[in-house]
Parts: sequence; C-alpha cells; structure tokens
Amino acid sequence: MSRRRQPGPRRLAAFTVASTVGNERVALARVAAAVSACGLSPAQLERLKTAVAETTMNAIEHGNGGDPSLPVAVVVDQDGDGLVVTVTDEARHGSTTAAAAEVPDLDAKLAGLQSPRGWGLFLIRQMVDRVEEATEGTRHVVRLIVHPGDGTGTAEARL
Amino acid sequence: MDAPVVTMDVRKVGDRTAVVDIRGEVTSACEAVLMSAYDAAGGSAARRLVLNFAGLGYMNSGGIGMIVTLLVRANRQHQKLAACGLDEHYRQIFELTRLDEAITIYDDESAAIAGASG
Repeated sequence: MSRRRQPGPRRLAAFTVASTVGNERVALARVAAAVSACGLSPAQLERLKTAVAETTMNAIEHGNGGDPSLPVAVVVDQDGDGLVVTVTDEARHGSTTAAAAEVPDLDAKLAGLQSPRGWGLFLIRQMVDRVEEATEGTRHVVRLIVHPGDGTGTAEARL
Repeated sequence: MDAPVVTMDVRKVGDRTAVVDIRGEVTSACEAVLMSAYDAAGGSAARRLVLNFAGLGYMNSGGIGMIVTLLVRANRQHQKLAACGLDEHYRQIFELTRLDEAITIYDDESAAIAGASG
C-alpha cells in the first residue's frame, strides 16, 4: 500500500535586504505581497507586518550591527496550514534573544526603572501565533508562524 | 539616524489644551519632532494634550518608546494625555502595551477634547 506523501512547504518568497535602518519597511512590504493570497484576515496581516518589521529591525540593528555589507535574509513559506516567515542575521554583533530580553513593563518605564524603549521583542511575540528562535551555524534565525484565519494564539485572544 | 518622515502640527484648543496632529511615521527617529511639538503645545504650561493619530502611516516599537518618553515628561508635569484617530491595529498595540491605561483613547478628536477637558 502506498502512503500518501505530505506536501512540503511551498516557498512564497526569498530575498535579502542590506542592514540599513529603513529596510525593515522593504521586508514588510515584500512579505505582505507574498502572503496576500494566503487567507490572512486584515487584522492578522497587520500583525504579521508589524512582527516582520520588528524582527527585521532587530536583525539589522543588533544581529548585524547596522553594517550595510551584512545581509538579512527573509524567507516566506506556506507549510500545511501555517505561514512561516524566517528572518536570519549573521549574529556578528550579538542578537537580542527573546530569552535574554527584559520584559517591558509600563509602570517600571514610567517610574524610570526601565528604558522607555525595548518593546520590539514583546510586540513580535504578541503579533503572531508562535515565535521560534535558533542559532544555525553562526547565524541567528527567528521564525514567525501564523495560521491564517485562526486568531486563537495571537493578541486577539490575549486581550 | 534617518531623518524622520513625520510632521506634528500643534493647535491650541482653549486655554490649556492642545491637539498634536501626527502625520506620517512614528519611530525612534521622531524624538526631536515630538519634543518640539510638546514645547509648542505649551510645555509644562499645557494641562491637556491630545495626540491625533488620524494621519498615522506607521508606528514601530521605537515610536512606542517615544510615546512613553512623552508620557514620562507629561506625568512629571501632572499633565493629561489623550489619543484619538488610532486604527484598530494600533489601538490593539496601545492595549497590549497598556498605554491605553495611561493615555485615554477616544474615537475622534471632538470626544478627546471634551474628555480631556473634563
């Protein structure tokens, strides 16, 4: 009896941007175009765009230290019922990992106990269904996973 | 740092309330523009500040940091901050960051002015 093969991930886009502040907007626009026919609700699409921009900005500013000669790679795959956006930097300057990041607390910020900044990783985690982080070789990889039409794991459900 | 792609025009409404019309991108690059708007709104003399986000094109985590910086400054002066014109996405971000607990959100400018004056 032959077993039916599971289809592999379908690549929707793969590109790089130079590590220059502002290119996170380029990544955002290209990812949005790549997933336009994937069934995301308008709210899911807006959240994914924010997550992609923040992740790419972290890669530009922290992983690659703003060195324009270092690329940030962005890959968009459709895998089963999920969309996976993978953002990879060269980890030359020490990435800000989710585990190491301080959890932002507005009260602490207003009291001067935390910097007013530092919302990026928090936002990324809130905007998509799942975030995976890994070191692959010498590179830092972040995967953003969204299930179109399913808002159960995202900010919609957390509020 | 890149030049900010944002304008923040200030309108005085009554004696001690000002509306800041934010158009464009709110990122970490807009700090000088935001603080200039705060000063133009009357600085510590203003009692109420309404941030009108109807013209907002984009805001990222750096921009949220700038709003927190403004909030710290306003709190020190015992000033009230309000916001209006946020779309559903950015309203949700205000809720997730709990900014909505410190900055009262209104649907439109007239409600914000009325609320801020109350």
